[in-house]
Amino acid sequence: MRAPGGGDEGDGAVTAVSLTDVAGYLPGEPVPAEFYTKFPGAEEKLRDHPMFKVPPLRHHVAADETNTDMIERAVRPLIERHGRDEIRRVDVLLVHSQLPDSPFFGVGTEVARRLGLKPEWLIDVANAGCASFVHMLKLARQILTTTDARTALICNAQSAAGQVFTQSEVRRLAQAAIPGDGCGVGYVTTSADSPVLDVETRHIGEYAGDMTTLLDDGRKYWEPGESQLRIGFTEASVAKVLARGNRLVPEVVMDLCDRLGVATSEIDAFITNQPNRTFLRNWREALRLAPERHLHTFDRCGNLFGAAIPITLDHAVRTGQVGDGDLVVLGGFAHAGDFAGAAAIRWHGGARGAD
Amino acid sequence: MSADPSTLADIPGLIRIENTGKEELAAHCMDLTHAVYPHHQVYGQYCTIQEHVDCPPEQAFEYLRQGHHLEEWTCSLRGFAPSGTPGLWVGYDRLENDTRIYCKVVAGAEAMTVDYHCSWDQGETLWMIYLMRVVPASLVLDRPGSVITWTNCRHPYYDSNPRPDLAPRADRPWVGDYWDLFYAGHTVEMANLKAILEHRHRKGLPVCVPPAAVTRGTAR
Repeated sequence: MRAPGGGDEGDGAVTAVSLTDVAGYLPGEPVPAEFYTKFPGAEEKLRDHPMFKVPPLRHHVAADETNTDMIERAVRPLIERHGRDEIRRVDVLLVHSQLPDSPFFGVGTEVARRLGLKPEWLIDVANAGCASFVHMLKLARQILTTTDARTALICNAQSAAGQVFTQSEVRRLAQAAIPGDGCGVGYVTTSADSPVLDVETRHIGEYAGDMTTLLDDGRKYWEPGESQLRIGFTEASVAKVLARGNRLVPEVVMDLCDRLGVATSEIDAFITNQPNRTFLRNWREALRLAPERHLHTFDRCGNLFGAAIPITLDHAVRTGQVGDGDLVVLGGFAHAGDFAGAAAIRWHGGARGAD
Repeated sequence: MSADPSTLADIPGLIRIENTGKEELAAHCMDLTHAVYPHHQVYGQYCTIQEHVDCPPEQAFEYLRQGHHLEEWTCSLRGFAPSGTPGLWVGYDRLENDTRIYCKVVAGAEAMTVDYHCSWDQGETLWMIYLMRVVPASLVLDRPGSVITWTNCRHPYYDSNPRPDLAPRADRPWVGDYWDLFYAGHTVEMANLKAILEHRHRKGLPVCVPPAAVTRGTAR
């Protein structure tokens, strides 16, 4: 079978790479919106303004839960479905931690130790934020098609919600009520069973640095002090990010679809990062997709940053929203627009039904 | 300029800095900002287009103010001649065979507005109104030339011909049937206008030409 427009779906001449499976993990019991809205000193707009559209639920990492813990838990279903040996044999391990547990070293080797992996390729990805699953899928595909590597594990851990956004001062801000924690992982193999048809990515240097983390006393984040780390969004920067996000995500998805020779209306399931409801609405409108084709988990998980795409895809597969043979398109952008990417998969990962 | 706040307090639905926080205002605007807008939402009731034209604003205004130039830059308005009523001209809209169009120009030199009050078939009620304005590009774009804006509003007569009895034949399509193509049609005509003005200005030619009716008169 060939992809429409001459892609390399199942093409013998090119090594086919598949997103064979995905799994997700959400820490703890869901935390209701009232955790923020009823917090003493909460910003008025957070408390009563419908326009801020706080998600009703989100999850928070436990106080002693690390990125590695979350990844280990997210990988568990993959081990159950594919066997421990199969997962232990992965040649490639790619990990993105939205909030690194330590500034000095990535979490990748710790993940390898915990899961008993001996990958030839191990990369801690620190860029591509909310769309890093797409970025890592492209990296995995590249490594699997050009080296002897056969399988890859890609991991997105997001643990900022229960840590950064629950600090006493930050918790009062409207920005705090939107994020949620979770971890999503993907199992990528050299096979034609659930082929990655194409990946489109852009690193956009001119938008670098427009999203910042702030400390009001001006100290460096590792210096001692009282100020609480938060995301530095001004209203002007929100407006700029809105304009960029509105443009970037439909652009990469349309370019990807053009290259594959499919109309965006042929997308069966569209899964993106989920910064807020406005973006979800705008991307769906721009690509002229019915709401039921644009799957998200915003209401139960909030903004999952980089973990949104694999967690939502896993949820969609488990609930039968993605079926066998569906054209699945994953897309998103990072930070203030410094990365945008989209990937198309002819999904044959199997609708597993609720588990 | 200051308004009595007590009178504003009685008006529901106002969103002003006095009653809406900056962040709330920004969130509201964010909600109103989409990535794309359907054609009917943008051009359904009003059709506004705009273009930069590399021709001095005074000349652009003078060109537009003289209604006979419509025969140059519009796609289908031709053969204008005085109707007998002062200021009212009558010509043909060759979009449809045998269709007369009446037109009166109402210009404001200070703001450089040029409004064409027109109608198909009759000159009594001029309801097809093309509102144009020339803005010095030096002011708004910091570059030479003119910005020309052009607005049409969807008068109810676009949707229902008030005088079907005046149509040259019963099956003649109505001008309002084309409303959904106005953005496209006006864009084509604006491109003509830009090409003509820029060509003459670049070559140092007078942008205005004598009325064709006069030329035709001499030729006969």
